[in-house]
Amino acid sequence: MDSVSDIRPRKATAAILHRLSLFAPGLILVVLIAVIGLVTPEVFSFDTLIVVLADTAVLFVLAAGVTFVIMLGGIDLSIQAVASLASVVVAALVGLLGFWSVPAAVLVGALAGLTSGLIHVVLRIPSFIATLATSGVYVAAALILSGGRAVTLTQAGRADVEWIRATVLGIPAVILVGAAVAVASFFVQRYTAFGRFSTAIGAGEEATWASGVKVDKHKVIAFVLSGTFAALAGVMLTARMSSGSPELANQLLLPAIASVIVGGTAITGGVGSVGRTLIGALIVSLVRIGMTFVGVDIFAQQIVFGVILILAVVVTIDRGKIPIVK
Amino acid sequence: MTALLSTRRLSKAFVGVQALRDVSVDIGANEVVGLIGENGAGKSTLMRVFAGVYGPTSGEIILHGEAVQLRNPRDAADHGIGMVFQEQSLILNLTVAENIYLGREGSFCRGGLIDWRRLNGAARRQLEKVSVDIDPRTRASELSFAARQMVELAKALSLEELVDRHLVILLDEPTSVLEQKEIDLLFARVRDLKQRASLVFVSHRLDEVLELSDRVYVMKDGEVVAHLPAKGTSTSELHQLMVGRKLNAEYYRESKQRRCSEEVVMRASGLSAGDAYRDVDFALRKGEVLGIAGVVGSGREELARTLFGMLPHTAGTLEVDGQSIVLKRPSDAVRAGIGYVPRERRVEGLVLFLSVLTNMTLAKLPMVTRTRTINHAAERSLGRDWVKKLRIRTPSTVTLCVNLSGGNQQKVVLTKWMNANSRILILDHPTRGLDVGAKEEVYELIRDLSANGVAIILTSDTLEETIGLCHTILVMRDARITARFDAPPTQKPSQLALIKYMV
Repeated sequence: MDSVSDIRPRKATAAILHRLSLFAPGLILVVLIAVIGLVTPEVFSFDTLIVVLADTAVLFVLAAGVTFVIMLGGIDLSIQAVASLASVVVAALVGLLGFWSVPAAVLVGALAGLTSGLIHVVLRIPSFIATLATSGVYVAAALILSGGRAVTLTQAGRADVEWIRATVLGIPAVILVGAAVAVASFFVQRYTAFGRFSTAIGAGEEATWASGVKVDKHKVIAFVLSGTFAALAGVMLTARMSSGSPELANQLLLPAIASVIVGGTAITGGVGSVGRTLIGALIVSLVRIGMTFVGVDIFAQQIVFGVILILAVVVTIDRGKIPIVK
Repeated sequence: MTALLSTRRLSKAFVGVQALRDVSVDIGANEVVGLIGENGAGKSTLMRVFAGVYGPTSGEIILHGEAVQLRNPRDAADHGIGMVFQEQSLILNLTVAENIYLGREGSFCRGGLIDWRRLNGAARRQLEKVSVDIDPRTRASELSFAARQMVELAKALSLEELVDRHLVILLDEPTSVLEQKEIDLLFARVRDLKQRASLVFVSHRLDEVLELSDRVYVMKDGEVVAHLPAKGTSTSELHQLMVGRKLNAEYYRESKQRRCSEEVVMRASGLSAGDAYRDVDFALRKGEVLGIAGVVGSGREELARTLFGMLPHTAGTLEVDGQSIVLKRPSDAVRAGIGYVPRERRVEGLVLFLSVLTNMTLAKLPMVTRTRTINHAAERSLGRDWVKKLRIRTPSTVTLCVNLSGGNQQKVVLTKWMNANSRILILDHPTRGLDVGAKEEVYELIRDLSANGVAIILTSDTLEETIGLCHTILVMRDARITARFDAPPTQKPSQLALIKYMV
């Protein structure tokens, strides 16, 4: 009897909150679209929509990567640094390698993720600390590589870089890349052993380990994915800005994490999906647009994101599972 | 005798388990009341209700003639009820004095700052009450188990200074980690304490219970089944009352115990893991149920964990199917065809907040071979088949495991290994916390598995279960194997024969 816990009757409230956390993000998105559509209908013109979706695509890819890590019960604070580093790598190599600077940058991201993951798993350093540390390293690498300044792509040595801002049928490549990432991530989560096991690790690491799952291996894979996606997001951002800079992805960490949580993935892992992150990213994007139209200062926008993040966690966190909050 | 503390028709239910059913007991002033029963009988639950850790589902608690509600341990302490826990509750990185006065430092504060000299002095006085010579500034982590037990006792007694009433001290299996010398000391202290407190003494050691108590309550399956004076009662009488109808051989399906094959699936030679256990030899055969009996500290818990890769052995050899291996982590063991049903099923056995289906396939996911992706259709049909085959009571396979009763949860854990085609299963207290009906179902499963050639290693809390279920029994004491018994269906060894080699 010693291991049986006392489940006090707070089931009614818990059930309501649970139901809410499942549907709330979708509802909020619909409401936001409606409100913005009513207040500023010009947002929904084709051109503005393209810009919105392109911005969201970058945010989504960044957030999708870190979703894998959060699902496992960890966190990756280095995504912003990796994205910036990737943009600098593209700028540095575009003169030499042309198109191949992009895969090179993505590879750098994967290696960055691998490093963070190995530090976390082999040295047994909590992911929070490990990625805080590695983010410093990656930012430094970006600064060194770029000489501490932004580098526009044409300046970097390739006269024609229009291919990086390609459009297909009028839709910017970045949006298509975002869509491809969404489909690929959905597939990974639902159909691969990694997808299943990372959910299980987040929901119950000891039991998953005691079932013979190689927990450490899956944790490293999640970090590699996070780094890869962050680099991809960095490349996409470079495309939109036509330049690479060690500060390019600054201010994106908080919105990225907010997208994951607002979408309904629990910060402790085990519950959630990249699909939810997509909804979260859309919500965050729309909130940002709303704020810009209303005229909120860009720095004050971070405050708003902070508040939204707290509220989102309150709704999604399952208190029944967490009697002690650290 | 007017009761100091009583319960009237106390019941306590957890999700799926009725831990206490209509329990009415009386604890009088200045007496020691013994509380015995098998694991799962409800003794610990009753104690925890007294200590304010659990609230009753129904029924009353009456203290000093008034009905009371003990909302939390602090509340219970304010009423003069203190508990010495079985699984020690000292905070190891705090000092002895800090532990004794944990949560009550307020009375030593002056202007918000703790007066350490006064606190340590007061702690020293409490320690003197139990005649223990420890510097109150010692860190708890530096003390031996026995010393910690005494500090816990001192902590419970310190309530005396705060509460102007007769105390009730609850002792939950205080002797299981003590040596005889220390037990004698504890008993002497307890007898002294009778003058100013009432004590409830829970233990598996029936002789100790009879020696120390004035009266004894016997519990079984959540109910009080007997109430006797200690004087004039024998341990075998108590044993009979505790165990009752289960002396029936069919409870363990002994008629289904078949001869196992001679083929050895796992062999240990000179297996050792540091100081935990040494020179363990055994040969586990296909279809055999091998039991390991021993008290806490005998090394059997560590041995079981080695066999599943949770505690790699440091010397000797371990062979599975003739191949020598070292199991460094659970995934090694699973790859070697070994499964593990852990004692803490809610922590290590199941991912509670995932579905029954996900838990069942956690050790072996059904994949589409060509694409290496999960075969969801196959998984769903597997789930349905297992639920039917094992008669698991669940609304559906997507129900979260947290909503199942203990017995059904345990079936899901067993399913996980059956699904993974484990050929060797390690069962660590497999019926802990299960009611009688659920236990019987688990016994059936064990018999079926054994008949199908699965080799099983069983560690259990009750000797009776071990004897009833196993083909062979190893007894361990102080890190070594002290005896081996054959236990064929018609010639089962007696518990006394085993106990001789256990303690």
